[in-house]
Amino acid sequence: MSRRLITGNAAAAWGARLARADYIPAFPITPQTEIIETLGNWIDHGEMPARMVMLESEHSMMTAAGAAAATGVRVFSATSSQGLLHAMEMLYAVAGWRAPLVLVNVSRGLASPITLESDHNDVMAARDSGFLQLHCASCQEVLDATLIAYRIAEDPRVRLPMMVNLDGFYLSFTREPVSIPELDEVRSFLPDFDPGSIRFRAGRPISQAVAVLGGGPYSYFRYESHLAANAAADVHREVVMDFERIFGRRYDAIETYQCEDAEIVFLMIGSFSTKARAAVDALRDAGEPVGLVRPRLLRPYPAEDLRRALAGKRAVAVIDQNLSPGHGGTLHCELAAALYGSDGAPPVLASFVGGLGGRDITAAEFFEIAKVTKKAADEGVTPEPRLLFQESELREVRKLQAIAHHERGLTGAEHVE
Amino acid sequence: MSNDTRFHDIKDLPSTHLLGSGTPMCAGCGGLQAVSQIYDVLGPNTIFVNAAGCMTLLSVYPFTPFRGSWLYTSMGSAPAGAQGVRDALDILRDRGKIEASEDMQVVVLTGDGSAYGMGLSATSGAIDRGLDFIYLCYDNEGYGNTGQQTSAATPHAARTSTSTGAAGYPGFKKDLFSIWVANGASYVATVIGTEPLDLARKIEKAAKLDGPRMILSLAPCPTGWDYDPKDSAEIGRLAVKTGVWPLKEFADGEVTHNKKPRKRVPVVEYLERQGRFAHLFEPERQDRVLADIQSKVDRYWDAVGS
Amino acid sequence: MYRIRFHGRGGQGIKTASRILGSALFAEGYEVQDAPRYGAERRGAPIFAYVRADRAPVYERGIIDHPDLVVVTDESLVQVPAAAVMTGLCDRSVLVIASAAEPELWQQRLGVTCRVLTLPPGPGEGAALMGAASVGAAAKLIGQISAANLEGAIRAELEGLPSDVIERNVGRALESFDSFESHAGCVSEGEALTRASATPPAWVELEVEPTSISAPAIRGEATSEQVQTGLWRTMRPVIDDSLCNHCSWICSTLCPDAAIDVGSDREPIIDYEHCKGCLLCVAVCPSHAIVVEPERAVDEHRSDP
Repeated sequence: MSRRLITGNAAAAWGARLARADYIPAFPITPQTEIIETLGNWIDHGEMPARMVMLESEHSMMTAAGAAAATGVRVFSATSSQGLLHAMEMLYAVAGWRAPLVLVNVSRGLASPITLESDHNDVMAARDSGFLQLHCASCQEVLDATLIAYRIAEDPRVRLPMMVNLDGFYLSFTREPVSIPELDEVRSFLPDFDPGSIRFRAGRPISQAVAVLGGGPYSYFRYESHLAANAAADVHREVVMDFERIFGRRYDAIETYQCEDAEIVFLMIGSFSTKARAAVDALRDAGEPVGLVRPRLLRPYPAEDLRRALAGKRAVAVIDQNLSPGHGGTLHCELAAALYGSDGAPPVLASFVGGLGGRDITAAEFFEIAKVTKKAADEGVTPEPRLLFQESELREVRKLQAIAHHERGLTGAEHVE
Repeated sequence: MSNDTRFHDIKDLPSTHLLGSGTPMCAGCGGLQAVSQIYDVLGPNTIFVNAAGCMTLLSVYPFTPFRGSWLYTSMGSAPAGAQGVRDALDILRDRGKIEASEDMQVVVLTGDGSAYGMGLSATSGAIDRGLDFIYLCYDNEGYGNTGQQTSAATPHAARTSTSTGAAGYPGFKKDLFSIWVANGASYVATVIGTEPLDLARKIEKAAKLDGPRMILSLAPCPTGWDYDPKDSAEIGRLAVKTGVWPLKEFADGEVTHNKKPRKRVPVVEYLERQGRFAHLFEPERQDRVLADIQSKVDRYWDAVGS
Repeated sequence: MYRIRFHGRGGQGIKTASRILGSALFAEGYEVQDAPRYGAERRGAPIFAYVRADRAPVYERGIIDHPDLVVVTDESLVQVPAAAVMTGLCDRSVLVIASAAEPELWQQRLGVTCRVLTLPPGPGEGAALMGAASVGAAAKLIGQISAANLEGAIRAELEGLPSDVIERNVGRALESFDSFESHAGCVSEGEALTRASATPPAWVELEVEPTSISAPAIRGEATSEQVQTGLWRTMRPVIDDSLCNHCSWICSTLCPDAAIDVGSDREPIIDYEHCKGCLLCVAVCPSHAIVVEPERAVDEHRSDP
């Protein structure tokens, strides 16, 4: 074991290397590219005995990944944002093949407008694909989650592909101290891939991914994927216990911080949750009973864990770094569905949308979110959903609009009609 | 060629067939006719990686006609699926995890809709990477599985369900053969099910070579081309005799024409037997369009020389 | 509500027939719903279409389980289980079969007590006009459609086809319409939906099952041979052994469906379970040794292997 300062991208690459991935179909996209460059470099210098192939698109990349996994090798790939969307048809397809593989997604906002910076709309768009999802808050977690993901995906009770998500820039290009385990230790946690019954070999005919006619068989196969995804919750529990035993780091399906006696709880995923954690400390210092819940596992959805952690709380502030236009934040909606009608469900679920396109969420904003949510709990009235967007930002946008629309002699404000 | 082949005479062709019967392809399908013959030569140690098209319905749960393997991918990325399977088999062989006898020939099975359009980027990428695979396109000159809409393989003036006017499809069939040659394929051949000996020799040859290899089969289509299923063979033969479908191959840097019709039959005889060209004859005969089609064929063969 | 089901083969104009009947009922002031039902199968494969008509808006959808009238345009389908021609027939249903045989013979063969009528094809008439004939029959049996509205519906539906084709179809439909005068209005409207008549669903809990069976993968070889595509056939190729010159199995090589094998004695054998009846072999046989015979459901010939 060595402890080094590495980026989240490097941590993902180390995860693939330690998992002894056999095959890496790749395609570059910011802010993911460093992952495949790192792996390519190791392969070229004989440090990693894998085969990498550059495809001409993410759609092809995901097809090759699924096909290779279905042939019986351990597959790793990585993408981001538009790339994930370009591959989307194949995410659904490959999940239905029940071919286990790990895909790292480096979260980045979606066009239009184009941005390079982080938010979670890309990974949220893949929620319904059948890929399982783990979300990371630190570079260490990226490496560890990659190893954990292989164990879950390849488990005979699951056999579904799994995605590991890290935030662009805030983790992808950010260095943090990371313990890099020894290969032997990893081998005892994650043995070689046993493809079981799913493989292509001469003399053992199999027609894979065939069409079905009729709603009955279709319902059966789709629902079996759902049941397998649900079964992954138990498998996750076993796997992370094993991981803790070997490596000493614990990764429950949801992370809770200062929750036990909290009245108000922040709920969010990804790297900004460490900022929420820092805010919780400051709020506690100020005497406010605030806590934090961070789902790591988003598919399968840890509904029971969340119900347990949030039972009896006065209010939850859900902070979504994604936006479903015409609806709002996705985590908020999913949490509401999980809590509705359950014993001790918090009476107030406040929705905050922030951190879109890489926008920061400041400590002052976390404090304000806590204040608004506490007031809502006191009054028993759920507040309107709130976009985290300040006057200074609007002033900045107005300046940009004035330049963009200069030839028409309009300022942003006049242009609104 | 004849020295390298086990197919000297039509009597050398298999008399029992590998592909299972009972598929849902239309009666008289010229594409299935070719695929069945091709499978006889390739043998069961083949995995077909399929792009969306008519033949996606060859395998509908729980029925498959194959004695080897099959993987359906998508309309746009079958060659990438072939890449994944080929690479994985190579990895497993390199590591000694499978025997050479467990290896398979990887074959993309695609219609013209994917081959000439949506799948072309993935196809070109696979050729760029020198992927060791066979790419088999059954070309029925339109999106047949959805009712014969115009594709980039549709010939000039043909009526399709999206080109129903008096002029038919105004565009021209794309030259996929030349695209493959230019892209750097190791072998490219045209075939048709009604020339089984030529077809068998070409598949035999393709199977022995490495790298990206394409077999492009014209697939007379009673449903999409609007003729009686029993005429499928006759229409296929006329496609060759009129010179509309040149039987040729590219290997070792050269294009060879395997069958040069000594006296080409006028293209009208091919066109008038198909409902999709009926508007060129009724209510009035469109002589100019017919002459244009003929002269395009003539120019092709003039360039080939004798 | 009237619930009418048409059964035929792909390419025989079943969809058109159902649309004509739907349009004619609509012209009579009914609220109408009509739709074809396709599978993956192609020309020659069994398909069906249905029409619902009521004075009130139609809220039912999809397959008709309890038809008032079933029209079969291809008699060879009646005994094909996959075609499900007999599904939901009860005593008050009416069954019309395009067949030259007597209705009593059908009633006896099928062991049904409902009213059975046959629609004999005209002399030398192929399948082309059976759609028109069957829609004419259906219109008369329902008894709510005038000849003028039937004709109008046909002309509207066939618009754009050559005029001689339209006239032939109109003529055939009206001839059929008139020929069923003695049965006019024998089809009665079925019951409205009631809770009492429904069987409660037997819902099951699905368990998570191993991926070896719970993914859409097939491990058998050539399982397609369990599909009897021979049932698509309306004409069958028959090899005349005396004429077959045991050539280099041209028929076998060119059969798209791998339905002709050649035995060690070089005798070609047609696999009638799977031959779809494209008759390509008839066209290519160099010695003209393959002849064509019609498939008939009721005569003894059909029961041959």
